[in-house]
Amino acid sequence: MPTPTELLQGTLDLLILQTLATGPMHGWGVAQRIQQLSKDVLQIGQGSLYPALYRLEYKGWIRSDWGNSENNRRAKFYRLTAAGRKQLETELETWDRLSAAVGLVLGRTAEAS
Amino acid sequence: MMTEFLTRLRFLIFRKKHGEFHDEVQFHVEQSIAAKVAAGLSVSEARRQALVEFGGMERAREECNEQRPGWWTDTVAQDVRYALRGFRRDPIFTIVVIATLAVGIGATTAVFSVVDRILFRSLPYGHGDRLVSVGMVHSLEKQEFMMGSFFFDWRDNQKPFESMAIQGTMPHACDLVENNPVQLECLFFDAKFLPLLGVSPVLGRNFLPEEDRPNGPRIVIISYGLWQGHYNLDPGIVGRLIDVEGSPARVVGVLPKDFQFPTLQSADVIFPMALDRAAQATANGGFGTPMRTLARLRPGVSISQAKLEMEPLFEHTRDIVIPPGVRKDVHLSIRSLRDRETEDVQLAAWILLCSVLAVLSIACANVASLMMAKGEARERELAVRSALGASRARLIRQRLTETTLLSLFGAAVGLALAAGLLRVFLDLAPTGIPFLERAGLDFRIALFTVLLSLVCGELFGLLPALQRPHAIALAARAAKTFKSTVLRRSLVVGQIAVSMVLLSGAALLLRSFQNIEKQRLGMQTGGVFTVRIALPWFRYKTGQKQMDFYLQAEAAIRRLPGIRAVGISDSVPPGGWQGGSRSSDLVVEGKPKPEQGPGEPLAVRTVTPDYFQSLNIPIARGRNFTEADRRSKESLMIISRLLAARLFPGEDPIGRRVHSSYGNAAAWYTVVGVAENVKNGGLVEPDAPEIYYLRRSAAENWDGRAPLLIVDSALSTEATVRWVRSQIAQLDPTVPVATETLNEQVSKLADRPRFETALLGFFAFCGLLMAVIGLYGVISFVATQRTQEIGVRMALGATRLDILRLISSEGVRLIVAGGAIGLAASVATAQLFKSLLYEVTPHDPVMYAVAIFLLVLVALAATLIPAWAAMKVEPTVALRYE
Repeated sequence: MPTPTELLQGTLDLLILQTLATGPMHGWGVAQRIQQLSKDVLQIGQGSLYPALYRLEYKGWIRSDWGNSENNRRAKFYRLTAAGRKQLETELETWDRLSAAVGLVLGRTAEAS
Repeated sequence: MMTEFLTRLRFLIFRKKHGEFHDEVQFHVEQSIAAKVAAGLSVSEARRQALVEFGGMERAREECNEQRPGWWTDTVAQDVRYALRGFRRDPIFTIVVIATLAVGIGATTAVFSVVDRILFRSLPYGHGDRLVSVGMVHSLEKQEFMMGSFFFDWRDNQKPFESMAIQGTMPHACDLVENNPVQLECLFFDAKFLPLLGVSPVLGRNFLPEEDRPNGPRIVIISYGLWQGHYNLDPGIVGRLIDVEGSPARVVGVLPKDFQFPTLQSADVIFPMALDRAAQATANGGFGTPMRTLARLRPGVSISQAKLEMEPLFEHTRDIVIPPGVRKDVHLSIRSLRDRETEDVQLAAWILLCSVLAVLSIACANVASLMMAKGEARERELAVRSALGASRARLIRQRLTETTLLSLFGAAVGLALAAGLLRVFLDLAPTGIPFLERAGLDFRIALFTVLLSLVCGELFGLLPALQRPHAIALAARAAKTFKSTVLRRSLVVGQIAVSMVLLSGAALLLRSFQNIEKQRLGMQTGGVFTVRIALPWFRYKTGQKQMDFYLQAEAAIRRLPGIRAVGISDSVPPGGWQGGSRSSDLVVEGKPKPEQGPGEPLAVRTVTPDYFQSLNIPIARGRNFTEADRRSKESLMIISRLLAARLFPGEDPIGRRVHSSYGNAAAWYTVVGVAENVKNGGLVEPDAPEIYYLRRSAAENWDGRAPLLIVDSALSTEATVRWVRSQIAQLDPTVPVATETLNEQVSKLADRPRFETALLGFFAFCGLLMAVIGLYGVISFVATQRTQEIGVRMALGATRLDILRLISSEGVRLIVAGGAIGLAASVATAQLFKSLLYEVTPHDPVMYAVAIFLLVLVALAATLIPAWAAMKVEPTVALRYE
């Protein structure tokens, strides 16, 4: 099992927004999805996941509602708001620019990152 | 942007419910467990791993809470609640800290409010720092003065000043004769005076230069007080004619409400100086009119430079104007206006300020020490909270909240205390302290002291919180940090040293005050009172009219029941104004004229025979003046024993003749008696030799300074004063009469030392009390800390007495160290207030012994109480003590 990689400051927010863009999800689901998609490279510590979710909610980019989970348990589902969608777009753009720039400096193509 | 703002606003108002986080995390953990069980772990192992993976639950909760905008307002309220609960749990700690802060803040604020105007606040004039008082001084007149004969010379030829302006020497009584007559104080200013001060009238205008000339228009500027009290702030006052001294004067202006007269003697009506330059050369025996001169230094010119530049002018004048006999005694003086106003109280003000700052430093040390002790006692609590997930910032914030709350409480009580203390100061304070009646609580300094104590508290309260909580503190046995104990001990040593300085200072002042109180005045003061009658000058212009009035009053009072004697004099001892002469003014018949030089100052009074009876001053040799002498044409004098010893060493002075050139009555006088010495230079100054001239019933003896009556009555003073007033009212119902008992006058002279002693005593008491609290705190802390050690020692056979010795030796070391440092410091500083002491040397061993005894006594008590408690501990209990 590879060692969990420290996430860049602010990257976690982007990952969460991106994950929620596919549809409403609870905190556990968000963590699982990120882990799966990153092939276990990115393991989100719960200690930072929930503060990040709260932070995004306070910023108005996501909203939360109580609902029932797939196994019929009460859970809190987060979904992207319109403002969140816009924010995601800007952040993605920033990310692309940044990773391309970093790739150039490191002498690799952007796709390789 | 807008939606973001609205969302924030929404969350600011509607908070998340407390249980939400719990439910959400619960769900998360359960999912995690389910996933792990599915992967093949046992339920209990899955739960364990899930919880470990999640990490600090509380920490996460706090972090989530902290994401909310404005989250900290919640924690402040929470911290405040927590702090208040803590205070309730430990009321003694809370009360001691608040009381300590309150005394420090209160005393400092009150004292600073008093001394601020004396020492620091800029004068209420434009460029007040460049205003100086310029003139000559000599041993009988220590305030700068000038004479009309040379003022114009100086003004035209000087270089260091931008401008110079003059006022009359002092206010004089004058009458406002209107439908409602009152007696007022009148004063002269020249046209440049108010502009020099940078003051302009609130209403109307200043004198114009063309009005300030001989035979100019009769115009006046009136004080705000007169405008308010007599004219009800009538805006039409400017241009009105008012009747001063029986002739009309036109009001041209009104002084500002808070106008401060530069000589601090206030007046109600100001006339133009209207000096006639040509006439000044011959007026007043060639000297010209005496006056006070103020000047504004040119920018960048210092007082010493100005003095250097004025010296040639002064020397030139001195050699022309001043008689050769006293030339050596006359000097040029230039002082800043602040020194002119407050020089004689500056030392006392500094001493008060320093002593109150000493009290403040003790208070701060105490707060620091208490906070540190508290911090150490709570180390375990902090460790537990930190282990439960509280962040360090959170703990520090909590601590800050507590100290801030304490400081605020202390400040509130302290400000109330300051208001009360200031009131007490005002009641206690002698009349001689300038600006006191204007002193109000100074909130700048209150703020400063509050901040200072806040810093003390924060700094030392935070020390323990800043250290990473020791893991060991979680264990049952608390390991105490060595460093902070050393710090606390040095704080206590410092406190004891400072209170030693305060105590010995207070002891010296107390001794000096006792000496003042118990000294012999050489006269009786009980049952004697003086009567001052302010005769309006315009109706009693001549010496004859004055004499007629006073002789009638004397006769009328003598007819009253119970009267033992009614004397008339121009002044009474022991203090206040009195006539002054010099020994060089006297030549004994048949002896050579005394050598050149100003000679020694003499006290001079012109008295009726009853003067000696009314004050019960014995005639040691010869005889008193008689009633028959008053009607004779002979010039007689009585001299004090001190003067007899100077003029006639080893000879009999009775019947000898002395030539006196005192005042304008140069003549030969025959000595008829020698009176015993009385205190005549105030309570603390050395006595001056004294001359008593006979006040004959001849007009020329009555046109000098207004006389006063001295009444000695066998009946109650209160009743007699009433009768005297009604007798004088029958002679002239409009004249104001002021009476004062001699006891009051003497007591007033002791006001200054009493004030200084009381204040310093109070500060010494506060300082000692707080130092002792600090000492007690440290010793009882040490005793508790060593409880287990005590148990071991006792189990190994130490007696209870050994234990007492063990613990109290801690305290004794601190007391000895602090006391020794303090003693050295007080010996070094005592010299500074030598001039406040009367007949005590600054190194009076008795008073130092008293101070040391007191300090050691109280400090030992503070040591023995906790040591005693430690001694009483049962060994079995002590051994199990954590």
